[in-house]
Amino acid sequence: MARSREYRSKARIYADILRCIVKHGGRVGPTRILYCANLSYDRLMRHLTRLMELGLVEEAKDGDRTLYGITNRGVEFLKEFAKVERFAKAFGITI
Amino acid sequence: MPVGLIVFMELVGAFISFLIGYYAMRAYRASSSRELLLLYYGFILLGLGMCLRAATVGYLILMRVFEVYPPLVKSIVEFAGVIYSAMQVVAYVLFVAMYVLQSKRTGEGEVAFAAFPVLYFSFFNPFLELVAVVLLGLVTVQSFINWSLRRSGESFLVFLGFGFMLLSHMLLLFIAVENSLLFFGQLAQLAGFLCLLAMLVKVSRGGEE
Repeated sequence: MARSREYRSKARIYADILRCIVKHGGRVGPTRILYCANLSYDRLMRHLTRLMELGLVEEAKDGDRTLYGITNRGVEFLKEFAKVERFAKAFGITI
Repeated sequence: MPVGLIVFMELVGAFISFLIGYYAMRAYRASSSRELLLLYYGFILLGLGMCLRAATVGYLILMRVFEVYPPLVKSIVEFAGVIYSAMQVVAYVLFVAMYVLQSKRTGEGEVAFAAFPVLYFSFFNPFLELVAVVLLGLVTVQSFINWSLRRSGESFLVFLGFGFMLLSHMLLLFIAVENSLLFFGQLAQLAGFLCLLAMLVKVSRGGEE
């Protein structure tokens, strides 16, 4: 029997994107995020736009390339999300 | 058992319960997970129930201080006991619902004051205690499975917390047979909430895993 796809909340997707940016040095291109956050290009761009509106991610230009970096607010969000995730996991809840 | 100690234990338990409820609400706001909302309502109900229990003991203490013994006092204590037990049962139903929702979503499988303690025993309704034991038993088994899968300190503390609360209800179920079980029941309940508090402290101190 095929396993159902793992459910990810919006907050979890945001955290996955931000963790991906941190993992790759704090500034990274969309293709790399696309692979490590396991998202389609359209969905990634939609989430990145929202993350920039929230002030968690900032856009930077490196020649022709567009890079995305994590802001201080983004780092704070990640810390808070890690606590929430550990709390939920302690009760067996996946968020 | 000193009555002041009962009130103290209940209020500590209620405080921890509200704290966990508050944390669950914060987590719900951050994640929009319905399971966390159920956890929030469950712990808020448990906290309110323990406040009611502390208020009942406080009421009985005031009766002794002012030497007033209203004729309906036994009925009032019994009624408060039923409300308390019902609140607990609803809280445990919410915890069970939380685990059901989670498994669906993830696809995994104390009238004279000399008789104060005797009167307080009428607070406990054996039938509702039994329902609470069954429901909390399910919650404890689920938290054990969660701990055996994750092997994290936090999930072990949650398992211990629910385990002690289950032990507390099992002891309170038999207080009609042995009065001293009230003390041990209260102690087990306090131990359960202290485990949950320890989990909360561990979670809020830790950062990324």
